Amino acid sequence: MIVCVAVVGHQNNPLYLQSFTGSDDALKLHHIVHCSLDVIDERVNNPKRSASTLNETFLGLLYPTENYKVYGYLTNTKVKFIMVTTDLDVKDADVRSYFRKFHAAYVDAVCNPFHVPGKKITSNSFSERVGTIVRSFGPSMTL
Amino acid sequence: MEDYPEELRTPPVSLVCLTGCPELHHPISAFLHSEQPPINTLALPDFSKASVLARKKNRDPLSQPTPAPPSGILKRDWLLKHRTRVPAVVAALFRADQISGDPAQWLQACTDLENLKSLIHGRSTRLVVVLVQTQAAEELSEDVMAALRKRAEIDSKHLVEFVQNDASDLRQSLNKLASLFAELCLTYYKEEGRRIRSIIEKKSSPFPELNIRYCFKIAIYAEFRRDWSEALKFYEEAYRVLREMANTSTRLPPIQRLVEIKTIAEQIHFKISTLLLHGGKIMEAVARFLKHIKTYKRLVGLPEVDFLHWEWFSRQFLVFAELLETTAASAPSSQSPQFGTSESPFSEWEFQPAYYYQLAANYLREKRCCLEQSSVSKTDLPTKITEAPDSVMPSTHIGQSARLVEEGDIVTVLPLSDAEYVAYALAEAERFQDCYEIIALYKRAQESFSSHGSQRMACLCTLGMAREYYASDDFTNSKQLFDTVAAMYRREGWAPLLWEVLGYLRDCAKRLGLTNEYTAYSLEMAALPVFSTGFEETIDFGPAGPATLSRREEIQREALNFAVETDGDPEPVGLDVDPVSPLRSVLLVAVAFHEQSVKPDSVASLTVSLLSHLPLLFKVDLLEVEFNQPACNFSMSIPLEVSPNKWLRLTHEVKSGQSGKLECLTVKAKINNNLIICCRAESPALMEDLTSWKYENQRETYPTLDPALSLSGQKSIQVDEPNPLVDLTLNSIGPALVGEVFQIPVLVVSTGHVIHGGELKINLVDARGGGMLMSPRETDESDAHHVELLSISGLPEEKEDDLNTDLSEETKSDNIRKIQYSFGVVSVPVLKEGESWCCNLEIRWHRPKLVMVYVSLGYNPGDVDQRVNVHRSLQIEGKVPFFTNHRFMMPFRREPLLISNIRSLISPLEEKKVSLALKENNIVIVSAKNCTDVPLNLVSMKIVPEGGTNSNEKLFLVQEISGISNKCTRFVPGEEFRGVFSITPLVAKSSLSLGVVCVEWTRDSKNQDQPETVTTKHSLPQVCVEEPPLVAAIECPPFAIVGDPFSLYIKVKNNTNLLQEIKYSLGDSQNFVFCGAHVHTASILPGKELVLSYKFVPFSAGVQQLPRITITSVRYSAQLTPSIAAGTIFVYPAEPKFSLEKNGSELVV
Repeated sequence: MIVCVAVVGHQNNPLYLQSFTGSDDALKLHHIVHCSLDVIDERVNNPKRSASTLNETFLGLLYPTENYKVYGYLTNTKVKFIMVTTDLDVKDADVRSYFRKFHAAYVDAVCNPFHVPGKKITSNSFSERVGTIVRSFGPSMTL
Repeated sequence: MEDYPEELRTPPVSLVCLTGCPELHHPISAFLHSEQPPINTLALPDFSKASVLARKKNRDPLSQPTPAPPSGILKRDWLLKHRTRVPAVVAALFRADQISGDPAQWLQACTDLENLKSLIHGRSTRLVVVLVQTQAAEELSEDVMAALRKRAEIDSKHLVEFVQNDASDLRQSLNKLASLFAELCLTYYKEEGRRIRSIIEKKSSPFPELNIRYCFKIAIYAEFRRDWSEALKFYEEAYRVLREMANTSTRLPPIQRLVEIKTIAEQIHFKISTLLLHGGKIMEAVARFLKHIKTYKRLVGLPEVDFLHWEWFSRQFLVFAELLETTAASAPSSQSPQFGTSESPFSEWEFQPAYYYQLAANYLREKRCCLEQSSVSKTDLPTKITEAPDSVMPSTHIGQSARLVEEGDIVTVLPLSDAEYVAYALAEAERFQDCYEIIALYKRAQESFSSHGSQRMACLCTLGMAREYYASDDFTNSKQLFDTVAAMYRREGWAPLLWEVLGYLRDCAKRLGLTNEYTAYSLEMAALPVFSTGFEETIDFGPAGPATLSRREEIQREALNFAVETDGDPEPVGLDVDPVSPLRSVLLVAVAFHEQSVKPDSVASLTVSLLSHLPLLFKVDLLEVEFNQPACNFSMSIPLEVSPNKWLRLTHEVKSGQSGKLECLTVKAKINNNLIICCRAESPALMEDLTSWKYENQRETYPTLDPALSLSGQKSIQVDEPNPLVDLTLNSIGPALVGEVFQIPVLVVSTGHVIHGGELKINLVDARGGGMLMSPRETDESDAHHVELLSISGLPEEKEDDLNTDLSEETKSDNIRKIQYSFGVVSVPVLKEGESWCCNLEIRWHRPKLVMVYVSLGYNPGDVDQRVNVHRSLQIEGKVPFFTNHRFMMPFRREPLLISNIRSLISPLEEKKVSLALKENNIVIVSAKNCTDVPLNLVSMKIVPEGGTNSNEKLFLVQEISGISNKCTRFVPGEEFRGVFSITPLVAKSSLSLGVVCVEWTRDSKNQDQPETVTTKHSLPQVCVEEPPLVAAIECPPFAIVGDPFSLYIKVKNNTNLLQEIKYSLGDSQNFVFCGAHVHTASILPGKELVLSYKFVPFSAGVQQLPRITITSVRYSAQLTPSIAAGTIFVYPAEPKFSLEKNGSELVV
């Protein structure tokens, strides 16, 4: 189950952060998302990647806490998506597919003429769409 | 890791026992210890001490007929015993003379050997006999050796001779001994391992404890042999069996059972991790550790001792972190292409000790949390076991505790009940201060993360430290750490995280009694962009409270009314807000002047805009606006209401009487009489966004009504100078001429201002020479000054005075007067309204140049202490007055043969220099053409030799043939004047300087009484003077008459001491007939002159060309040909008649 999704802007500022869990962990999830930016920085600044993965947007598992796994995704405009899940064995393909859908939703949200680029995303329809994507995440997605 | 016993932390080392010959023990021990792998020695000085090797009588539990359950898994001292007391090899050292000499000694040796044999009986410990010989020659007989071998019951190769007489022998013996020991140790540990392995394989034990013990032992023996893979295999096996046992064993009370299992698991896992890490298998080590953690995490045990579990759990992380840190195994960053993918399921941090330190700290916190709960609930337990029993000590088995009961002299060890154990563990745990441990762990993690550049993780660790300090009431340290964390969250705009941290900070400041900081933190919190989205109500934000709008409002009210409660302190709280302060979101002040510049004493309007993100409206009682010119400061005491997120715009007018920059510095807002916020004024054009609010999706608002002003408005304005009421005029009459002193009159007329302390500055700048600042002086330093400011004259009262007296008078009267080549300063007297003052600038041009003359007048207009400046400029071109040229000629019909002219024909590349004939009259024609726009008067023109006219030695004579007839000649623009001079060189010289032509002239102006004479010089070139070998001259009458014969003589003079042969020829002509040789040759004697005489009769009238005359010098192969002009004659048709007016007589030629 996905417990938290976040969109982080250029200055590493949160643009959208939604947790799908009880209140106890919400602040902890903020910390987890914030700290995983360190890993993104490291992976983006020291790319030890071959040519085939040069255009890869999926950053992979950022860091495992014992209860969560954190995955990252970097768009071409250097906006970061971060996802925290409680499923400890997740298939890469599932996560990739999730991020693709999320990216599409994000693109639609920022294409809104009333959205100012670089500002927080407050669109309700984006939230709803993200909720749907998050609920549909899981092993069933690949079936 | 330091808590572990030494024998567990370090790899086991084989042990060898030495006995007898104590003087040799030290060198042998030292040598064995330095071997690779090292061997430890147990040195027994004599055989009587060998009893330490005796083994206790406890037999293998399985070999007994009825196997009793073991009382523990691992014995506490087993490992130590094998490292210090149970040798693999026992070496008995005997001196050779002991054996071979006295029979009594031999008997003693035999007894000692028997003793040793009995001690190691039943073990596979090897016996080695070493015969020490002091000299190699001291050979023992074969019989003795055989007898000794038989006594000791050993192979021949286990009887070693040790020769120690010299260094090489000693070394050889030591090497021999060491290799034997190494081999025997290997065999011993292999056999021991095999023995225990066979026990496992033969009998399946009913007790898993024994299985674990045996596996552990096999692994240790394998480690002795450095067989790491086997060691790893059996440790893994032991670990597996132990895990299975955790659910089945019933041997001990449940709490203690779990404690034992975990302790054993910890040690086995430590061994496994160490082996993996030292083998460089970091990935496997990490994977193994994660598995270990996963396996044991749920094994919490009973809730009253869950703190024990978390302590143990935290220790696992700490030990693993320390292991990672100490082993040099590097993270596999170079091998694996990318972390976090399916190929490499780990992330970067799992290879960093910092990650584990941080988790160790987290679990230690968990432990403390559980401990607090247990301590609280302890009171609920039955009172009889709340008292911790005395003298609890670790029992003989690892992970077990026992109680020591003394009854008189008898000490008995009793097992503990679980309740007793819990009480004991609680009492032990309460003795420790966990928070310092937690802080230390966070600190290590934080330092490690910072060094890896993981700032945010480091920040989280700092937050952990700060929370611990806060929990232990150390608010000073806590506040300092929270401040660094807050800076990070502020920078990246993580409002909810910042909210939590600020809550702590606010509480710290409150407890430390820091009023200012308390207010600042409170206001910052109140102005944070946090809104209720549903969850915030229930999230635990610590002392900050829920991150909701209502909580923000509450905090704002508290902060604004804070000082009222402590009204015993009359001083209001003062907060400074600068452009980097986080309090900008509390009150942001933008100041924009509507104009860019303003006249003095006229009104400039400005807008002061206030913006606050505080959630509630508040009133500003007093607003003070301060400028850099204190006279402009103003304040508003009408209560102003500042609404949330809305610009409050106030327009005000200021008047400045002082020119220069007027800048708004600060705006002070007094709120509730107890808070003064002093904001640095900001220009809307340069204003940065608020870090916390810039990402909020809000409507964009402008600090001023006019959006354009918001983009360009500045907090400063330029106050102009007052308008000058003075006329400054620069006049000039046409272009300046090079050489003359050119005067530019400057007129200062006061038209309204009284001029005080006036100062006139003059600056000459090359108009073309690359900018205004470049004076001619600077452009060309070497070549004097092209244009020079000579003086400033014509000051009304001292018009006639010359420059020197001017200067002295000026300096006496203490006025400024300073003139440099391109710059001058002169003071202007006090001028009342309507008065005027003038002066002349005297400038001389040395070269033609276009010059800008800048004149500026600075003065005080009287009453105000402020300078007013007036600037004027004038472009003046300096021109050359005339072009001067010159031409050298020979007298008419006279041709000297000049050798250098012939040479220059042959080699034209050589430098062409005019050649003049020695002692001949050479003609120079100097022409001067007026190229100005004004008529000039020529006063004189003369040739002045270089050294002056009165030089001792005359090199040449100059004679003016024609020149200026009367006193001066006026010549208009474009007109050319010629002067003719004859130069007769007296000395032959290859390079002769003819001096310069000096032309004296004046401007032809009527309004000047006595125009100044200017001399313009034109230098003549260097010439070559040489003696011509031949000089040819043609003598001919000035005119001829048709039909009248006339004579023509060609005279050729030989100036040399040689006989000169010449050829001469005359061409034919239609217009003349002549008699004489057409072509002929002649010889001229030295110093003589040859005269060729011809008679001509002209046929036709007019200007006629004489037949072409050619004279060729044979010696010099040079032709002398008269010019066309020289060969021309005018022929009258009839005899002309000239009437002379004076006497009326006729002149007949």
